[in-house]
Amino acid sequence: MKDKYILAFETSCDETSISIIKNGYKEIATVVLSQIDIHAKFGGVVPETASRAHIENITIVIEEVLEKAKMKIEEIDAIAVTYGPGLIGSLLIGLVAAKTLSYIYNKPLVPVHHIAGHIYANNLVKPLEFPLIALVVSGGHTELILMEDEYSFKYIGGTVDDAVGEAYDKVARVLGLSYPGGPVIDELATTGVDIYNLPLPMDDSTFDFSFSGLKSAVINLNHNEKQRGNEINSANLATSFQNRVVEILTKKTMRALKKYDVNNLVLAGGVAANRGLRERLTELCRENEIDLTIPDIKYCTDNAAMIGAAGYYAYKLGRRFDGVLKAKPTDKLN
Amino acid sequence: MKYLFLDTSSFNVNIAIIIDNEIIENFSITNSPKLSENIFVYIEDIFKKSKIKINDIDKVFVVNGPGSFTGVRVGVTIAKTIAWSLKIPIITLSTLELYATTKVSEKYLIPFINDRNGYLYAGIYDNELNNHMIDKYLHMSELLKEIQNIKECVMIGYEKLDTTIEIVEPELDILKIINKYEDDYSDDVHLVKPNYLKMIDAERNLEKNNDQKNNN
Repeated sequence: MKDKYILAFETSCDETSISIIKNGYKEIATVVLSQIDIHAKFGGVVPETASRAHIENITIVIEEVLEKAKMKIEEIDAIAVTYGPGLIGSLLIGLVAAKTLSYIYNKPLVPVHHIAGHIYANNLVKPLEFPLIALVVSGGHTELILMEDEYSFKYIGGTVDDAVGEAYDKVARVLGLSYPGGPVIDELATTGVDIYNLPLPMDDSTFDFSFSGLKSAVINLNHNEKQRGNEINSANLATSFQNRVVEILTKKTMRALKKYDVNNLVLAGGVAANRGLRERLTELCRENEIDLTIPDIKYCTDNAAMIGAAGYYAYKLGRRFDGVLKAKPTDKLN
Repeated sequence: MKYLFLDTSSFNVNIAIIIDNEIIENFSITNSPKLSENIFVYIEDIFKKSKIKINDIDKVFVVNGPGSFTGVRVGVTIAKTIAWSLKIPIITLSTLELYATTKVSEKYLIPFINDRNGYLYAGIYDNELNNHMIDKYLHMSELLKEIQNIKECVMIGYEKLDTTIEIVEPELDILKIINKYEDDYSDDVHLVKPNYLKMIDAERNLEKNNDQKNNN
C-alpha cells in the first residue's frame, strides 16, 4: 500500500503545533511553538491572549514543519485538524488555516477530536491493541475511555468539575509555586511526607472524578493553618495532595479495566508526564498483568503529532468536514 | 492583475474579486457568530462564479481591524495562509479607512465602531482618504476634543451615538481603497496580524500592577 502522509494542526489551547505523520505511527516532523512563557505571568491561560499568539505563529509553524520534513504540501494526502474540545478562539486559528490549505491544494480535511489525539499519541510508541482503556489526564481533561476497535471511543467516566491538571495549577498558586503547577508539585512531592489529612475525592462506584473538593480542602487547610500561625510545609502538602490524586485516578482506572475485562491500558494527556502517577500505574499494572503504554513526555503535552496519528485513522474511515467548518469547544468523545 | 479582497472585521462580511481594476464578483452579508463556519462556503462560491481559481490570485487585500477580534482573526488567518501558500503579496487595510471610502459631501469623515462605556474606535480622514488622526481606541469626550476645530465633518458607522454630529451608514468603495494601496510593498506574511487597537483586560491589569510595583 502506498504511504499516506497527514499534515496535522493542533491549536486547541496554548500550543501552536503542526506535524507531518506517515501511516499513523511514524513522525516525520513536528513543530511546537509554546506560549507557556506568555501565560506564566498570568498564572494560567488567557484565552484572548492565546488566540492572539496563534495567529502570529501560524504561517511560521507551517513553513517550519515543511522545511523540517523536506516536503511540499502537494505530497501530503490529507490535512487533519483538532476541531475541539478547547478554547474556541484558539481552535479557530488552526481550523481556518487548515481549511484554507485544504481548499488551495484540494486535499481532504479531516476533523480530529483532541482526546482522540491524546490517546493516539501512544500509537507513535507502539500500535494500539484492542480492547483498551485510556486514562486521559491533562489541564483540560480527566477521562476514562474504552476503545474496542480502531478509532471507536466509548466514554465511561470523567471529571464532573475541574480537570486534574487544573487542580494542580490552582494548588500550586495557593502554595505560591510557579505555573504550570503539575511538574512543580510532582517534584516537590518526592521530598515530602504525606502527613496532611486530605479527603479521597469522589471515592464511589462510578467512573467519574471530582477535584474541586480536594482543591478546596487544600486551600482551607492552608488558610486555617496560617490563621493559627502555623507554617505549612509545602513539600508535605504537595505529597498529600498528589497521593490523593494518584490514588483515586489509579483506583478507578484499575476497576474500569476489571469491569470491562480489558488488559491494555494507555495513559494520555499532559498529566501523563507526572512521575507519581506513572510509577503507581506501572506498579499496579505489573501486579495485575495489565499491558501499560505511556507516551514519551514530548507526546504527552498538546502536540500535532498525536493529531496526525489519530487523523490517519479518521481519514481511513472517511471522516471529512462537510462544507461547514465547526469548532466544538465542549464536544464529548464518543 | 487579479486581486482578492477580504473583510470580515465588522458588521458586514465583504469578499470581492477584482481583475484589472474592475470588481468582477462581490459578495456581502451581515456578519454573524457563525462567520467561521460559513466563510469558506462564501469564498468557494465567489470563485465558482468568477471562473478564476484561487491559485490565479496575484495579491490579497485583507481588512485587519479594528473590529470584532474573532472576525478579524478569521479574515487575517485566511489571507495569511493564502499569501504564504501562493507566495503572493499581502496588504492589510484599516476597517475605519474602509468606512471612510463612503461618498459624502462633507470634507472630513470620522469612521467609528462603538464599544462599551463611551469608548469607541475612531479615526479622522478626509474625502481623499488622507489620514488626520490615526485609528485609535478612545473615549467619546477625547474624540470630541480632537474634532472641535473641524467644522465640516460627518461620522461614518453603523451604530447610534449620543452626539449631535450627523452619522452616515458606510457605503464601501472597495476600489478606492485598493487603488490607494495596490502599489505598496507587501507586508511580511509572517508578521501580518490583526490591528486590535485595544489591550485585553488581563494584560492591562498586569501592566497596572507592574507600574504600581515599580512606583513603590
